[in-house]
Amino acid sequence: MPDGSFRASSSSAPKDTFSTLAREKSFKSPTQTGHTVPILNEFVKPHLESFNALFDDSGLDSGDGDGRGLLSLGIKEIGERVVFDGKGTVGAESGQSGWGNKLSLWFESVSIARPMVPEKDTTAKVRKVFPAEARERLSSYRGRMSVKLCYRINDGPVETELRDCGLVPIMVRSVRCNISRMSSSELVKHHEEAEEFGGYFIINGNERLIRYLILPRRNHVISLVRPSFTNRGPSYTPQAVQIRCVRPDQTSVTNTLHYLSNGSAMLRFSWRKQEYVIPIMLILKALVGASDKEIFEGVMMQDYSNTFLTDRVELLLRSFKQYSLYTGDQCLEYLGDKFRVVAGMADDWSNKAIGAWLIQKLVLVHLDSPRDKFRMLIFMLRKLFALVSHSCAVDNPDSPQHQEVLLPGTLYGMIIKEKLEEALVQLQRNIIIDTVRGDTSPDFYDKRYLKKVCNRVSWDIGAKLANFLATGNLISPSGLDLQQASGFTIVAEKLNWMRYISHFRSIHRGAFFAELKTTTVRKLLPEAWGFLCPVHTPDGSPCGLLNHLSRTCRIITSPLAVAHIPALLAAHGMSQPFSPSIDGRRNLCVQLDGRVIGWASESTLKTLSTNLRIWKTEGKHNIPLDLEIGFVPTSQGGQYPGLYLFSTRSRMMRPVKYLANGKDDQIGSFEQVYMDIACTPEEIEQNVSSHVEHSSTNFLSILANLTPFSDFNQSPRNIYQCQMGKQTMGTPTTALRHRTDNKLYRLQTGQSPIVRPVLHNTYGMDCFPNGTNAIVAVISYTGYDMEDAMILNKSAHERGFGYGTVYKSQTVDLKDLQGRRNVSKPTLHFGLGNDIRIEEGDRQHSCCQFLHPDGLPIVGTRLSTGDPIAAYIDDTTGRTKFVKYKGDELGYVDTVRLLGSDAGDSELQKIHITLRITRAPVIGDKFSSRHGQKGVCSQKWPAIDMPFSESGMQPDVIINPHAFPSRMTIGMLVESMAGKAGAMHGLAQDATPFQFTEEDTAVDYFGEQLVAAGYNYYGNEPMYSGITGQEFAADIYIGVVYYQRLRHMVLDKFQVRTTGPVDPVTRQPVKGRKRAGGIRFGEMERDALIAHGTSFLLQDRLMNCSDYSTAWVCRTCGSLISLGYDDIRLGEQHIGPNAMAKPTGPGGEYCRVCRSVAEEEDKRAREALSNGRSNAASNQVHTDLKVAISSQHVLGSARKGSDLDIIAVPYVFRYLCAELAAMGIAISVEVH
Amino acid sequence: MQACTQTPTFFSAAVMNSAQGANGGMQFAPPPRQDMEYLCADCGAKNEIKSREPIRCRECGHRIMYKKRTKRMVQFEAR
Repeated sequence: MPDGSFRASSSSAPKDTFSTLAREKSFKSPTQTGHTVPILNEFVKPHLESFNALFDDSGLDSGDGDGRGLLSLGIKEIGERVVFDGKGTVGAESGQSGWGNKLSLWFESVSIARPMVPEKDTTAKVRKVFPAEARERLSSYRGRMSVKLCYRINDGPVETELRDCGLVPIMVRSVRCNISRMSSSELVKHHEEAEEFGGYFIINGNERLIRYLILPRRNHVISLVRPSFTNRGPSYTPQAVQIRCVRPDQTSVTNTLHYLSNGSAMLRFSWRKQEYVIPIMLILKALVGASDKEIFEGVMMQDYSNTFLTDRVELLLRSFKQYSLYTGDQCLEYLGDKFRVVAGMADDWSNKAIGAWLIQKLVLVHLDSPRDKFRMLIFMLRKLFALVSHSCAVDNPDSPQHQEVLLPGTLYGMIIKEKLEEALVQLQRNIIIDTVRGDTSPDFYDKRYLKKVCNRVSWDIGAKLANFLATGNLISPSGLDLQQASGFTIVAEKLNWMRYISHFRSIHRGAFFAELKTTTVRKLLPEAWGFLCPVHTPDGSPCGLLNHLSRTCRIITSPLAVAHIPALLAAHGMSQPFSPSIDGRRNLCVQLDGRVIGWASESTLKTLSTNLRIWKTEGKHNIPLDLEIGFVPTSQGGQYPGLYLFSTRSRMMRPVKYLANGKDDQIGSFEQVYMDIACTPEEIEQNVSSHVEHSSTNFLSILANLTPFSDFNQSPRNIYQCQMGKQTMGTPTTALRHRTDNKLYRLQTGQSPIVRPVLHNTYGMDCFPNGTNAIVAVISYTGYDMEDAMILNKSAHERGFGYGTVYKSQTVDLKDLQGRRNVSKPTLHFGLGNDIRIEEGDRQHSCCQFLHPDGLPIVGTRLSTGDPIAAYIDDTTGRTKFVKYKGDELGYVDTVRLLGSDAGDSELQKIHITLRITRAPVIGDKFSSRHGQKGVCSQKWPAIDMPFSESGMQPDVIINPHAFPSRMTIGMLVESMAGKAGAMHGLAQDATPFQFTEEDTAVDYFGEQLVAAGYNYYGNEPMYSGITGQEFAADIYIGVVYYQRLRHMVLDKFQVRTTGPVDPVTRQPVKGRKRAGGIRFGEMERDALIAHGTSFLLQDRLMNCSDYSTAWVCRTCGSLISLGYDDIRLGEQHIGPNAMAKPTGPGGEYCRVCRSVAEEEDKRAREALSNGRSNAASNQVHTDLKVAISSQHVLGSARKGSDLDIIAVPYVFRYLCAELAAMGIAISVEVH
Repeated sequence: MQACTQTPTFFSAAVMNSAQGANGGMQFAPPPRQDMEYLCADCGAKNEIKSREPIRCRECGHRIMYKKRTKRMVQFEAR
C-alpha cells in the first residue's frame, strides 16, 4: 500500500538510528527477492499498470470483462471496412446490385513483443535487449509490433495476413519489458539501479515519460455555465450539461447538451475535430422510438405541478414537430442521410444503419443498449432543466471532484488504436482510388494485388509512437477528445533522486489552461485534499497547473467487478429503472458508471450508501474496495442529488480509516466532498466524523513530506524547499557508470541527514544522499553574510564540504559528419591515419597526448578547450581529421563507449564519451537548507578567523540572522537544535511534521536533549571572535543543519567581456553567454545614466565599448557615404578632363558628390563662356540642390569637394545612412 | 620518392599522400599498429577489435565496448 503500511518489514531497525550497517549490507549484496525499498515500486504503479492494461496478459484484475487488453478492445471497436470493386458482378449476399464484389477488411489481433536482438544478428548469446543497452547505445527500447489483418471477399473464406508494424517503444518494467520481474540483485546485474522502478520509455537514450494529465471525470454528468456557449449560435444560452463518455477501450467522446432559450436542447459532439449539434428530440426518438408521451413522462417523472418543467418539455416536444419525423426508424434514416458523407461507411449500408452507427459511435458511448442511453439522456435533460431553474448548482470543472487522470498507458493505447484505424482507412482509400481511377479495376481475388495495396500503406506505427514520445506532440485526425496536441511527454531528468521521483508523481492540468488569463484553474481547492499536494507545486508560470500527487493517492488501473451491484441494490430497496411510475420529487437517481440503474428515496439511498460502504470495507457481497460511493444529498440549490457509483479506472483514490467499523477504506475525490474526515484521532467528533486519516501527513507529496519540521515553517518556504530539493546536486543514481545522460550532477560526499522525517527511511532516501550536515552559526560576522550570502569555512571546504562533479557527455557520430551522400558504406573511420606520427619522440603528433591510435581519447586524460577528443580518417582524402573538445572548462575523460549497431554487424561509427568536470564550491555557488533558505557563498573564510565556541567548535557555514524574522522558517531553527542534539547523542532525529503540540513543544524536547549533552537549553552558546578572540556580547545560535548544494553555479553563469565577437552587420557586440557576448545595456539603463549625468560612462558603454567607428564626412554636403580617394602619396596630382588639378584633401580624399557637382558647374560655366550665353538658366538647375545645404557649407563649394573631416560615429549609424541611401534618402550631417 | 622519405615532415608527407592517392606509396613506414583491447559492456570480456571490424563481443555478442583505462601514467598538478 502506498501509505507505507509494510514499512515495518522493510526497515526493522529502530527509527532513531541511521541503519548504516543495514544499508551497507544492502548495497554490497542487494536482495535476491523483491526490492530493498519496495514502496518505490508502488508509486509508479499507475504508469506501469496502465501500460500493462494494453495487453491481454496484463495480469490485472479483469473486473466484469473477459480480461482482454485495451488493444484487443480497440481493434474490436475499429470494426471492419468495406470496399466494392464496382464490377457490377453482384456477390450473392451483398444485397444491393451494382456494387460488385465486397471486400471486408478488419484486424483480428495485435501483438507487441519484448525488445529482442534482430534476427540478422546470429552471434548474440543473450537474445533479450535490456534497458541499460538502449540507454548506453543511445537507441530506443522497443519491441516489434505486428497485427493480423483479415479480409474476406463477399462471404468467402476469411484470409489473414500478418503485417509488421515496426518497433514500438516499450515501457521499462512493464509486462513487455525484459526486466519486469527482476529483484534488486538481478537489476544491479543488468546495470540498473537497485531500486529501478521503471514507468518510462527510452527514446534515443533519453528516459521519457508520459505525464499524468487531468481530464473531466468520465461517465458523470456535470452542469456548466459558460458565457462562451452563447456564441455557438442564435438562441444558445450559457447553460449546458456535459458528460465525457469512455468506451471500454478507454477512448472517449464528450457529449454536451446545450440549453436553448426557446426551451429545447441540442446535443453536441465532435467527430474528426468537427463539431456537430443535433436536436435532443431527434436522438431520443432515434434511440428507442420513444413516443412523445414516453419522453414527457420520462422528463416530468410525475412532477406535473412543476410548470417550469412542463413548459420546457412541451416546447421541446412541439418544436420537434417541424421535422415531421414520427417513428424511431424515420429519425435514424434522417440522421443517416445527413451523416452519410461524413461517416464514410460502406456504400451498401442503408441510411438507417448509418443512423444507428452514428448513435452507437458518438452518443453516450459508454453505454451499449439504446434504452440505457435513452434513460441517461433523459437524466441529462432533467439535470439541465434543474440547472436552468437554479434548483441545482453549477459544477466546478476545476475541482478534483469532477476530475480523473489520463494515464500514460491509456493515451498510448488510444494512439495505437487510432494509428491502426488510420492504416485500415488508408488501405480502404487506396483500393477505392484503384477502383475509381485505375485503368483496370482491381481483382480482389488476386492475392498479389492485395499485398501490393498493403505495401502502399504506411504500417510503421512504431516510428509514429517513437515520434510521439520523443516530441510529446500528438498527431491525430480526431484529437482523441483531448484539449491539447502537444506537451504530453517529458524527460525524466536524473538531476537528483528527488527530482527524478517527482516526475512520476507530477500531474498536469493541461497545456490549454497555461495560456488562460484567469487564474481560477490554478486555485488550491479543499476538494484536492489528500489527492494533490498543496505544497508541492512550482512557483511561477506553471503554479497550480503542475501539481504532484499526495503520497497516499492511488490511481485505479484495473476495472472492478460490479455487474452484481444493481441487483444487490434493487434487493435492498432501490426501484428498477424501468418502473413505470417513479415520483421525481421524492426519488433520487442511482447511477453506476454513468448508467441509470434505479431510483430510490433519499433516506433509502442514505442507508444504501452506508451499507455499501460497510460491505465494501468488510468485503461482503463482493463489493470491491475501490468502488466509489458518491451519495449527494438533496440540498437547497447545491449539487444535483443522487447516488453515483464509480468503478472505472483512472480515478484518484486514497486510503483512510472508516470509523463505523475501524476498517481500511478507499475513498475517491467525488465522495470525499460529502465526508467528514478527521485529520487525527483526537479530532474525531462523535456522530459527525465518518473517517479518520491513517496519518496526518498523508496529504503531502513525497517531497513535501521530506521537509523536516515543515509544520513550523511559513507555507511558502515549504513550497520553495520542494523546488530547491529538486535542484540540488545530490546522488542522481547509483549506476553512474552506465548512465549516458547529457548532464549529471553529483555530490561527492553526500551524508544522511541527522534530522529527518520517518518517511526519509520509508522511501530509502539514504541510498541517494542529497546534502551535507553542516555546523551552522547564525551570526552577522564580517559583513560577507549580508543579503542571504553565507560564509563558508575554508577548512570545511578543503575537507570536501559540498564538493561536486558534473558529468557531461559527448557523442561523435561519423554518420552525421559524413552527411547523407553515401549510405551504403561508411567513408569515415575512427583512427589515426598514416599522416600522423605516433611513435614516441620529438616528432610525435601533438594529438597523441590525448588519443590512442584507434582515434579514441585516452581514458583519464585531461582536456581543455580545443584539444582533440576523437580522430577519424576520411577514405576519400586519406587524411586524418579531429573532433575537438568544445567546452570551456577543464574536463577529464571518464568513460569511452564504442557503440555498435542494432545487429552488431557494422564497424565503429559512433562513440560516446563521458567527461568528468570537477566543481569544487567557489564564491558565487548556491546553497540552501531544507527550509527554502537559499544563499550564495560569498567568501571562503579562513578557519583561523572563524568564530569559535567554548568547546573550540567552528561553524562550517555562517548565515545572517536577518534571514529569519521575515521568512519565519522556525523549522530551520528547530532542525538546528535537533541536529545538534542528534549529533551529540548519535540519534537520527525524527522530524515528521505534526508530532509536537502546544503542551509538548519541540523546543522543550530538543532543549532537554541539549542540556543532557552539556549545551545551552536553547541551542545558543557563547562564542568568540576568530579575529580578536573576544567573546561576543550575545550568545550565538549554533547547531547542525542539513545543507544542500544547488546546481546553480557561477561557472555556468558568469558572463563578462571587454572586447569580443561583434555582429557583422552592425559591428555591435553579439549577445549570448555561449558566444562570449555582452549583456544588453538597454534603454532603461541608458535613462539611468542620463539621469545621473554620467556622460563619460554613457559614452563608454554605448560608443567605445560598442560600435565605435570613425568616418569621413563631407563638410560641404554633410554626406557620410560619398568618400572617394585619389592616390596622391607620391605627390602627383589628378588632372581632370579640363586639364585642371582636381582638389583633394591632404590624404587624397574627396567628396564624390561635391566634386561631381563642382565639375558639372565648371563645365557649364565654360560652355556658357564659350557660347557667350547667360548662365542664368543653368544656375537654376542647381538651386534645388543647394537648398539642402546650409549656408556655411556653400562657402566651401569653392573647394570643390575636398573639404572632408573625420568624425566618430557609431557604426550602425553609417549602416543606417547606407540603407537610407538605398531608399533614396540622403542624410546630411552638420559638422561644427 | 627517396628524398621524401628522408624529409618526412608531417606536412610534406600529407601533401604527397594526397597527391598520390589513397593507395600510393608510404612516405615513412607506418609503425606496426597494435590492436586495441576493449571491455565488453555486458560480460566484461577483453576483446581485441581491429580497425574497421564490427563492434561485437566475441564472448556474448554484445554491442557496446568500453575503452580500458590507459596504462600510461596520468598525473596532474593537484591544485
